[in-house]
Amino acid sequence: MNPMLWGVGTSDYGLQPGTRVEVLCWTAIREAVDDAGITPAEIDAIIVGSVFGPPGVATRVQRGLGLPGVPMWTVENACASGTSAYHEAVQAVRQGRFGCVLVLGVDQMSTLFSGAIVPEATDPEGAASLPLPGLYALQAQRYVQEFGVTPEQLAAVAVKNKRNGLDNPRAQLRKAAPTVEEVLASRMIAEPLTFLQCCPTSDGAGAVIVGGERGNPADLRIEASAMVSGALWDHRSQDVWGYASVARAAEQAYAQAGRTPGEIDVLEVHDAFTIGEILTLEALGLAPRGKGAELAPSGHTARDGAQPVNPSGGLLSRGHPLGGTGTAQIAEIACQLRGRAGDRQVARHRVGLVETMGGGAAGMDGNACVVTILSVP
Amino acid sequence: MATELGVGRPTKRRPGAAVGGLPVADSRPSLVDGQVGGVRCTTCRYPVAQTGIPWCPACYGPVEPARFAATGAAWSSTVVQIPVGTRRPPFGLAYLDLDDGPRVLVHLAEPTVLPLGARLRITGLDDGDLTAVTIEKGVEK
Repeated sequence: MNPMLWGVGTSDYGLQPGTRVEVLCWTAIREAVDDAGITPAEIDAIIVGSVFGPPGVATRVQRGLGLPGVPMWTVENACASGTSAYHEAVQAVRQGRFGCVLVLGVDQMSTLFSGAIVPEATDPEGAASLPLPGLYALQAQRYVQEFGVTPEQLAAVAVKNKRNGLDNPRAQLRKAAPTVEEVLASRMIAEPLTFLQCCPTSDGAGAVIVGGERGNPADLRIEASAMVSGALWDHRSQDVWGYASVARAAEQAYAQAGRTPGEIDVLEVHDAFTIGEILTLEALGLAPRGKGAELAPSGHTARDGAQPVNPSGGLLSRGHPLGGTGTAQIAEIACQLRGRAGDRQVARHRVGLVETMGGGAAGMDGNACVVTILSVP
Repeated sequence: MATELGVGRPTKRRPGAAVGGLPVADSRPSLVDGQVGGVRCTTCRYPVAQTGIPWCPACYGPVEPARFAATGAAWSSTVVQIPVGTRRPPFGLAYLDLDDGPRVLVHLAEPTVLPLGARLRITGLDDGDLTAVTIEKGVEK
């Protein structure tokens, strides 16, 4: 059965410690079910993507759904947890295992961490106090020195995405967008990454309904979905951390869809930090190695550019509730492809791509990466 | 007042004893007689700064315990300006490609961004973390 995207929904994204995790999920699920035009009884499997749970969150969400007995499981692939859950749903529908799958991505970070994510003490580099912005800063510093990437080029990614986010009513950061100078003047987190180049941790949930072909003109074709685990980050390779995992997933996704990078109209990618968007776009084939930093300053990835990237504002604006990020990215691309993005709408919107990359395990080139390509039938 | 992680609020994340959580087994590379401990593949010689792995992650060949030189070249470096665990800013970190050895994360004795390829020597452990100094014209700084 050819997998189709039937519906999407999200909660607001932001610091919501006073809101129950289940309420974030129910808000997203209700919207997705309405969007798909189905009754809850049509859902025949539930797949949840979450990093920090809480453990059992899937069942606690079930309490409000009245869907006893359907197969259900939770997957954890770091920041790619939500899209990993989606990938499993797509594969299940493709193989005919289920006809209609509810995908849920959720995390509530504000009740866990008061600032940056505390590194995992069982990890060799987590135990050595390497924070995630530090990990990305090491890649950024490599690019600064190897390819001459400038602080202004890094900052341009933050300016673009935070400007886009002003038009996203569900984004966490919706104050005035900063200038390049303001991004660079914000306090240093890990050189060369300043505060405004780091996504805020956030609370939020996103839901996606995946099913087969049913002749509904609003459904979107899922041309490709590829999920890869991390591999050895071999110090003999020329790749910076993270690059190869995204490239592996992208290669599979383009092959499945029979498309080239130039055919993608609009993208939502994993800009947890400014350098993340730059490396990802190189790995996705939008720019040669070392040239990805030119895409934001040139306007290529602007909302009115040739290939808009993160029209939602990305993680840098929407915030990053780990498991809740991938499903929000899919919701944005669905909104764009259907021409329903309002002030955020991009001009060309027939083919969209979502990329989510999770990382943090020492010695690996990522924990996992998912790339999916959707199109208007 | 935000709750400190690991204090009165158990989570899925193991923060470690350094910041108030329960102790966990140390997975950081060891330093033995001035050399970095790990394993090396007996087939392809791939070096890994970990122990207990079942086979070579590059070629699946058998691995044996190995010691690696404490010197190498900086692959990249940064200065972290936020507190992390027991570390207070600023503190310098680098990925160090050990001579004929693996890439390891080290703390820098001097918090500064280094040129790519800067020569470093691991001089010891600081609270269990590998710590390195730059070697300039044969003089350790």
